[in-house]
Amino acid sequence: MGRDLPTEDPLVRMQRDLRRALQKKPEEIKWGMVIDIAKCIGCHACTISCVAENKLPPGVVYRVVVEEEIGSFPNVRRRFIPRPCLHCQNPPCTKVCPVSATWKNNQGVVVVDYSLCIGCRYCLVACPYSARTSDFAEWYTAGTPDLAGKLVGRKVAANGYEVRPAAEYGQQWPDRGKGSPIGNARKCHFCMHRVKVGMLPACVTTCIGRATIFGDRTDQDSLVAEMLGSPRIFRLKEDLGTQPAVYYLK
Amino acid sequence: MNDYRIYKTLMTLAIAGLIIGSYGVISVLIWGKHATALGSYVPWGLWVAVYLLFLGLTAGAFLITILTYVFRVKIFKPVGPLAAFTVLVVIISEVIMISFDLGHFSRIYRFLISPGFYSMIFWMVVFTNAMIIIYLLECYFLLRERLIGWSQEEGRPGRTFYGWLSFGKTSYTRTDRENDDRWVRWLSIISLPVGLIFYGVNGAIFAILLNRPIWNGALTPLLFIITALLSGGALITFLIYIFKIDDTMVHYLGRVVRFLMVTFLFLEALQFFVGYSTGVIIERASLEIIAFGPYWWVFWIVHLLIGSFIPLALLMAFPDDARSVAWACALIILCFIAVRLNFVIPDQAVYKLEGLENTFYHWRLRTIEYFPNLTEWLTSLWVFSLGLLGFLLGTRWLPLVAAGKGEEEHV
Repeated sequence: MGRDLPTEDPLVRMQRDLRRALQKKPEEIKWGMVIDIAKCIGCHACTISCVAENKLPPGVVYRVVVEEEIGSFPNVRRRFIPRPCLHCQNPPCTKVCPVSATWKNNQGVVVVDYSLCIGCRYCLVACPYSARTSDFAEWYTAGTPDLAGKLVGRKVAANGYEVRPAAEYGQQWPDRGKGSPIGNARKCHFCMHRVKVGMLPACVTTCIGRATIFGDRTDQDSLVAEMLGSPRIFRLKEDLGTQPAVYYLK
Repeated sequence: MNDYRIYKTLMTLAIAGLIIGSYGVISVLIWGKHATALGSYVPWGLWVAVYLLFLGLTAGAFLITILTYVFRVKIFKPVGPLAAFTVLVVIISEVIMISFDLGHFSRIYRFLISPGFYSMIFWMVVFTNAMIIIYLLECYFLLRERLIGWSQEEGRPGRTFYGWLSFGKTSYTRTDRENDDRWVRWLSIISLPVGLIFYGVNGAIFAILLNRPIWNGALTPLLFIITALLSGGALITFLIYIFKIDDTMVHYLGRVVRFLMVTFLFLEALQFFVGYSTGVIIERASLEIIAFGPYWWVFWIVHLLIGSFIPLALLMAFPDDARSVAWACALIILCFIAVRLNFVIPDQAVYKLEGLENTFYHWRLRTIEYFPNLTEWLTSLWVFSLGLLGFLLGTRWLPLVAAGKGEEEHV
């Protein structure tokens, strides 16, 4: 019974697990995620927090929530399946990159080097989960009327927020409109820039149902490892042999 | 080209195409992929389809050079240089087309710095470059004798130009000819495996992908080769007719094209039959987009009616009428973009996760709505026109036909 009734917020435990993981050598860590779809209420907070954290432009999305309707009236249910990049351990997207701009790093996270990517979009086509998107240089402020002066208008609005780049991969990228990641393939990176400094990914911290669990899969004391032992565990399109590091609980 | 009027008309079309198409090119240069209708779920569109069209168009000319210089089939000797030049021009057009599709063309050097050896696109680049080098050298050795001759002819227009192309060589001996013949033969022998891998690699780009029911099928590589030979064969047959080289050759190639067309239609029918019979949902969905989707007319009218059945009827009814054969081939070439579009887009047009379409709305995250926009069409027109211009200038100012047969007069 004690096991069924949580005595602390899973976030607190995940935070503790994260701190412990960061004590290890980087190559000894293997990040993983477990998403409990029985707990997901389909609020899309993870999607929105991801967009905000990574300052994703229109048309670029890292984490979507797929909604499914099961059964027929009156026996109907809705099911929500959040889908970040699944960080496959046998990723079909990295092998197809002609210039080695994307790879699985030593912590099992599939990353993209924006400064190397030539924008051929082969990885987008190769991902069986459609988890990659391309940055087509869209702007939220496009079409906003501009006015002379420094207080109102499109340029002011854009300069105030949209032009400033996110700290993806912990790097300083040029202002938006001045090169990468425009023209690049973009994808979820487990918020590595946050994780590196001891913060959980944005989608994890904003999940109101605590349905998204993140941590070091190799740490047997971690919550994520505990969840991996559940009989409810499954992975998306497992038959493809991609071995995702993102698991689901039925 | 014997008929100067045709030449002038085609030159006018090429220049007009370049002028009109420049709007698309300038848009892409300024706004990049933002100027296109592409999205993240249909990331490859018209330009990839045109790229594949160019790829196919090289195949017929490639086959002619192999038959002429590797297997020494005499009937094709008069068109050998023209075929080699056609391969060269079309491959260069193909490279220009696909370059527009890159998000960061300025990083093209990364192919050398950090090559991805497991990537089929990397090998596509390697073999495309190999083909360009081989056919550039082959054209040079095929034309050298005439180039030297023309550079020495008093009063010939462009004499200095021919002098440059001959690298200052003023005489051509029997030994030179033997050496050049040997070079051409060896280059052709090398081009045989290189060319086959080149076509194979391009097919493999699609065939190796997971969860792509139309691309990732056993029939795909075979269909790829047949379509390439069909469109390429039609192109070279049409060119032989236009250049009035030999009507017998047109009749002969017309029969080959007819056979390839029947084979292709049979394989296409098999693709539909197998796809529908297996009942895999995403495969059926892709096939239904081809046959009954919003652009059903591309399949039924452009591809099947105008691009297949009418040419087939012409090829069957008038196999010994060079004009009818040429018309049939022209229709096949003109409508072949429909085949390529129906290969590239419908597979991407089916969402690969059920429900994905309802997750996050943005028009770049839609599939079925993709239709090439004006920028994409105009950029493609520009590349076609550039290729046509290069081809026309080459056939006018280089001894391509003369090197094979008779004397070529400049206007």
